[in-house]
Amino acid sequence: MRLERFRKKSPWILHYNAGSCNGCDIEILACLAPRYDVERLGILNRGNPKQADILLVTGPVTHRSRDRLVELYTQMAEPKVVVAVGSCTCSGGIFRHMYHVGDGVDQFIPVDSYVAGCAARPEQIIEGVARALEILEHKSHEIERPFQLRGPLYCSGEQTIRRQMAAKVSDETN
Amino acid sequence: MIKQLHIPLGSQHAALLEPLRLDFSTENERIVSVRSDMGYVHRGVEHACMNRFDFKKVPFVVARVCGLCAITHSTAAVLATEQIVECMVSERAQWLRMLALEFDRIHSHMLCLAHVAESSGYEALFMHTMMERERVMEAQEILSGNRVQFDYATLGGVTRDMDSQCAQALLAKVGALKSVLSGLRDRFEANWSTQMRFKGVGAITLEEAYRLGTVGPIARAAGVRTDIRIESSHLPYRALGFEPIVALEGDLYARNRLRLEEIAQSIELIERILEGLPEGAHLSKVRGRPKGEAMARIEAPRGELFYYVRGNGGAIFERLRIRTPTYANLKAFEAIFLGQEYSSIPAILASLDPCMSCTAK
Ligand code: SF4
Repeated sequence: MRLERFRKKSPWILHYNAGSCNGCDIEILACLAPRYDVERLGILNRGNPKQADILLVTGPVTHRSRDRLVELYTQMAEPKVVVAVGSCTCSGGIFRHMYHVGDGVDQFIPVDSYVAGCAARPEQIIEGVARALEILEHKSHEIERPFQLRGPLYCSGEQTIRRQMAAKVSDETN
Repeated sequence: MIKQLHIPLGSQHAALLEPLRLDFSTENERIVSVRSDMGYVHRGVEHACMNRFDFKKVPFVVARVCGLCAITHSTAAVLATEQIVECMVSERAQWLRMLALEFDRIHSHMLCLAHVAESSGYEALFMHTMMERERVMEAQEILSGNRVQFDYATLGGVTRDMDSQCAQALLAKVGALKSVLSGLRDRFEANWSTQMRFKGVGAITLEEAYRLGTVGPIARAAGVRTDIRIESSHLPYRALGFEPIVALEGDLYARNRLRLEEIAQSIELIERILEGLPEGAHLSKVRGRPKGEAMARIEAPRGELFYYVRGNGGAIFERLRIRTPTYANLKAFEAIFLGQEYSSIPAILASLDPCMSCTAK
C-alpha cells in the first residue's frame, strides 16, 4: 500500500530513442535541466529498464530499433506507463509510410499518454508525464504485453518467467 | 598478465542520447579495437524525398533528418534547390538565414559542452550549461516561433520577417548570454580539475586529422583550417568579416575551448547581422520546377554538410543526396579511441559530438 502511494512521488524515467530526429530528445533533456527541472517532481532519468516506471519513447520506431524497444518494454516491471513524445512517435508523423519505419509506437506496445507536437515543447512533455502518473496510480501489477514481436510467458508455480517474452523478437530479425 | 575484455556500449545506454552501438576490446583498461554500428535510426528520408514529397516540401522533410541542426539541413536543401529553379532571393533573406544558422550553432555547441560535462562526471556543470542554453532556445523562439524544429528557411527566403522589436529582444538575449559566457569559460578552462580531466585525452594529430578527412570542430581543434563559412559563397559570410578559429592540441580540452570560442564568435556575428540587416522582402516567389543538378555546402555545427539535388523538370527530385559531417568524421573516431582508457570513453564520445540521426538519415 505504502509503495503504491510513494511510487508517484518519485517515478524514474527510461528514455529510448526509436529513430527520432533528436528534436524531441533534446526537449526531454531540457526538461531535466534547470529551467523546467522535472527533478523537483521526483523524476529522475535512469538508463535502466528494471528500475524505471515510465518509458519515454521518441521516434516512429525504425525496423532496426523495434526489437530493442519491445525488449526494453518487457524488461520493465509492472506497473509501468508509456509516454509517446512527439508527433512522429504518436502516429509516424512526417516519417509515416517511409520504407523503414513502423508508423508509431502504439503499433508495438500499449501507450498510456500521447504528447503531440513536432517538436513537443517541454511544458507539453511535463504535462504528458503528469497525466501518465495519474494512470500509473490506478494500474495493477498485471503483466502488460507488447502487441507485436512477443514471445510466450511461462509460469512455474507461483513465479512468472518473462525472460522469453522478448525472445521471439531476435529470432525474427536475425 | 594481459587480459582481453570485450565491452559493448549501447544501443541503449544512459550516456547516449541516441541509439548507437560500439563494441570495444580492451587490454588492461586500454582500448585496442573498436567496432561501431550506427544504423539504428535509419528511416529512409532520402528515399521518401525522391518518391513522395514534391520539391517545395523537401526542406521541411529534411529538417527532420536531425533536430539539432534542423535549420542547417533545410537551408542547405534550399540553397541547392534555388540554383535550379527560377527565383530571386533577397539579400535580407540571406542575412536572416545566417542569423538562424548562428543561433543553431550556439545551441548545438552548448548542448555538446553540457554533454561532455555530464559524461565526465561534472553534473553541476551540465546543469549550468543547460540553464544558460535556454536563453538561446528562447531567442530561437522569438525569431521563428518554435524552439527546435522551426522550419525557418524555405524556398525563396525565410518564413517570417523580423521587426525592430524582435531584433531588440534578440540583442538582449545574446547580450545576456555574452555576459555569462566568461563564467562558463572559467569553469571549463581555468578549473584545475577539468584541466586534469580533459588535457591530453582523446587527442588527434594534425596529420591524422588531415589524412582521415575530418571536418568541423574536430578538425579545427587539431589545427586544420577548414570552415565552409569562408570556403563557399552561398551565404554572405565574408561581408561579416568572418575568420575561422583554430586550435592546435586536438584533444578534448582543445575541442571544448574551440567550441566556447565559436560560441563567442557566433554571438559577435549575430550582433553584426542584427546591426547591418539590409532592407527588402523576406520571401519571394518561386517559379518553375527543378531542372538540372546542383549542390550546396554549408557549415553545420558539426562540420561540412553537403547536399546534392537533381531534377528532371518534374515536381519530385530525381536524386537527393545528403552527406553529413558525422559521416565524414567516422573514420577519425577509431583513431581517437585507440589507446584511450575505457573510463574516458563517454566523455570522448560526447566531445566528438556524433549525430546518429544525421548519419543514418
Ligand atoms: S516529432 Fe518532430 S521533432 Fe520530435 S522526434 Fe519526431 S520529427 Fe523530431
